[in-house]
Amino acid sequence: MIGALLYLRLTSLRNLVVFRVGRLRQPKYLVGTAVAIAYFYFVLQQRLAMPGAPAAASAPAIADTRMIGMAFICVGLSALALIRVAFAWIAPAEKPALRFSEAEIAFLFPAPITRRALIHFRLLSAQFAILFTSVLMAFFFNRFGYAGGNRALQAVGWWVVLSTFDLHLNGTKLTLARLREKASGFLLWRAAAVAAIALYVLAVAWSAAAFASASPPGNLAGAREAERFIPGLLGSSPLHWLILPFRIAFGPYSAAGAREFGVAMIPALLLLALHYYWVSSTEASFEEGSIALAEKRTAAKAAAQRGDLPAAGSSRPKGRAGPFPLSPRGPPEIAFLWKNLLSMRSSLLNRRTALLFLWIILCVSLVLRPLLAEYARSNRAEAYGLLVVALCCIVAAYTLFVGPQIARQDLRNDLPNADILKTYPIEGWRLALGELLAPTAVLSLVLWFCILVSTFAVDPKGEAGWLTSGVRVTIVVCLGSAAPLLCFMQLIVPNAIMVLLPAWYQASRSRGAGIEMFGQRLIFTIAQFLLALLVALPAACAAALIFFSFQWVFGVGPAIALASAAVLTVLASEAAVGLWWLGWRFEKFDLSTESK
Amino acid sequence: MIEVEALTKRYGAFTAVRNLSFSVRPGEVLGLVGPNGAGKTSTLRCLSGVIPASAGSIRIAGHDLAADPVAAKRALAFFPDEPRLFEYLTVRQHLAFVARIYGVARYEELARPLLEELELVEKADVLPGELSRGMKQKLVIACGLLHSPSVIFFDEPLTGLDPLGIRRMKDSIMRRARDGASIVLSSHLLHLLEEICTHVLILKKGDKVADGTIAEVAAQFSNGEAGVNLEEVFIRATGGSET
Repeated sequence: MIGALLYLRLTSLRNLVVFRVGRLRQPKYLVGTAVAIAYFYFVLQQRLAMPGAPAAASAPAIADTRMIGMAFICVGLSALALIRVAFAWIAPAEKPALRFSEAEIAFLFPAPITRRALIHFRLLSAQFAILFTSVLMAFFFNRFGYAGGNRALQAVGWWVVLSTFDLHLNGTKLTLARLREKASGFLLWRAAAVAAIALYVLAVAWSAAAFASASPPGNLAGAREAERFIPGLLGSSPLHWLILPFRIAFGPYSAAGAREFGVAMIPALLLLALHYYWVSSTEASFEEGSIALAEKRTAAKAAAQRGDLPAAGSSRPKGRAGPFPLSPRGPPEIAFLWKNLLSMRSSLLNRRTALLFLWIILCVSLVLRPLLAEYARSNRAEAYGLLVVALCCIVAAYTLFVGPQIARQDLRNDLPNADILKTYPIEGWRLALGELLAPTAVLSLVLWFCILVSTFAVDPKGEAGWLTSGVRVTIVVCLGSAAPLLCFMQLIVPNAIMVLLPAWYQASRSRGAGIEMFGQRLIFTIAQFLLALLVALPAACAAALIFFSFQWVFGVGPAIALASAAVLTVLASEAAVGLWWLGWRFEKFDLSTESK
Repeated sequence: MIEVEALTKRYGAFTAVRNLSFSVRPGEVLGLVGPNGAGKTSTLRCLSGVIPASAGSIRIAGHDLAADPVAAKRALAFFPDEPRLFEYLTVRQHLAFVARIYGVARYEELARPLLEELELVEKADVLPGELSRGMKQKLVIACGLLHSPSVIFFDEPLTGLDPLGIRRMKDSIMRRARDGASIVLSSHLLHLLEEICTHVLILKKGDKVADGTIAEVAAQFSNGEAGVNLEEVFIRATGGSET
């Protein structure tokens, strides 16, 4: 039976490769592949040119740095794995599932195959992804100079780590399914498991704290201190024994040489074998959950192809009240604004986005903490202002360049409904305008916030004395006026790409992996950036010319106002032309033929 | 009124519809039939302004679709074979949106009986994701009929409907025709066409093979036999093969 399943996997893989190579005849895939290969060539060439970690004996300083880096990678990944396992116990899926595709379910579940064979098939399927990921990890983690050494051995090391984790996670799911089937004591078992994990974490924290108090670490930013402290900490008892399973799993990956690697492989493979035994011997029903999971993944894939963000968790979207009452009379563009704002609320304001923002805030706080501490020490109030301005500039830049890729409740989102939109009695440009209004409004709000905050964050003393209240108001008004037009132009670009090259656009939205897809996305990103520069250039030139010509005559404030008027005129003209073209192109385009 | 003159649709070197001419007067229901790939959907998409025709002219309710698409589209409704809906708009919000697009004042008065007729009242505040395919189809119909179009195009209108839904849809189509709408419907269900169509147009490889009332077309392919049904006519007209 496994032979048949292996045949299915290998044949599918071979056909996938043949298909992908065959479609290189189409320019969109050929160009995408060429760009991606060029990218990887330059990136890998750079990596390979980097000095790998030399033999430990010949360069002890680098070897120690490598050891510290390795320790950080291993500890970090172990913590993540532990969190994931704990999460599986704390909030188990209602119906434990193994990952199968819908086709696999349709063919294999009704087939005369044992449940164990299905589990083997699942493990086998996961191996293809794990092998590929291991090779990638071996190459890309090497860039930091932590790993160095033999990439092949590191790839094997990664394979051990990832396979063990995959088996452990599947074992947990199956065990949970088994416990749930038994019904009695399910909650008790879960509570015991969560308590065990919590106790384990406490024990690790306590033993680390005990070592730290006995042997204070001093300034860990100093390499020497870290070199002394970290090996001591990891080798101290009882921490050494507590983290033994993780040490075993990461042993081959963190091995410094071939001999050490060989020695580390023995317990690692034993651990892997134990996990395999655990998974393959656990009899539990996973079919129902697997079907639900496959359906969910298919829906998420379809949503991604439509350009929607996947819904958070398993919750289904709910109907919401409109953002404002929509009268049946009035410009039809407002109907699109109303519709897209509704869509935006549902797809952007959800648990997933909230978590993403929390994560970003956490990361930014971690990065900014030392900076803020430094500023607090320097006791320079104006430095805070400059920091705020810098932050606002970063947020504004992201809003302008990345925002249009996130806020895509426009023509891109309505691509599947293009046939319906085209039957509406509206000129193309008006339809395009209506579609672009909602994301323009949202991105403009973010920009306005950044402009307001940064303008009033700077203390107008010292070098910034020219920043009088009048100049500030002028800046706010001028930048605020230009912001919607800039956002609008930025949104026209991806929409124009979509109607100009729908086949490329459709291909690039699919989640289908592949080097050519990566290349296509790279091309779109570069195109977006270049086109943004291109449309901003005339406005910037006009603004610069007018500002420098008139500031001597009228002063800074009026010069800014005049320059802004020029910017607005140029941007509005460009936006009008872009909008007209977009509408015209949308009227002409036929997705059914152009996306082939 | 639908007036089509020398309509041609080409996709690159491939011609999907060639030199097609016909007209549908108010109150008439034209059945568009043909084997797969005959050009039915391309024809319907050209007629409804979804895609531009490569050549020829189309007049909808007296308006040239190429010269004055907005006026022409204001008079028509197109129902594709697959219900296309906005994911985050409830049933009621769909109607509000469409009312604004077509400028239907006091649409609530029109929407209420439509929702009742299509049995969507209880689903008025749910999203399309919670509707069955048949319900989605009904919502598309409600949206399409909200502005009381005088020209209606149906592409496989009965797909996904239950027997009761099929009966209601047939009644609805015939009622619209009696009220003076010009209707074109494409379907492979020949018994349905026989039941509700006044005229039939048979396409094969993008060419018109036959056009006229059902009796006229039947006479053309009956070879003198009596009681030849549309299915037999279809097979004889298209040579019994797909292409």
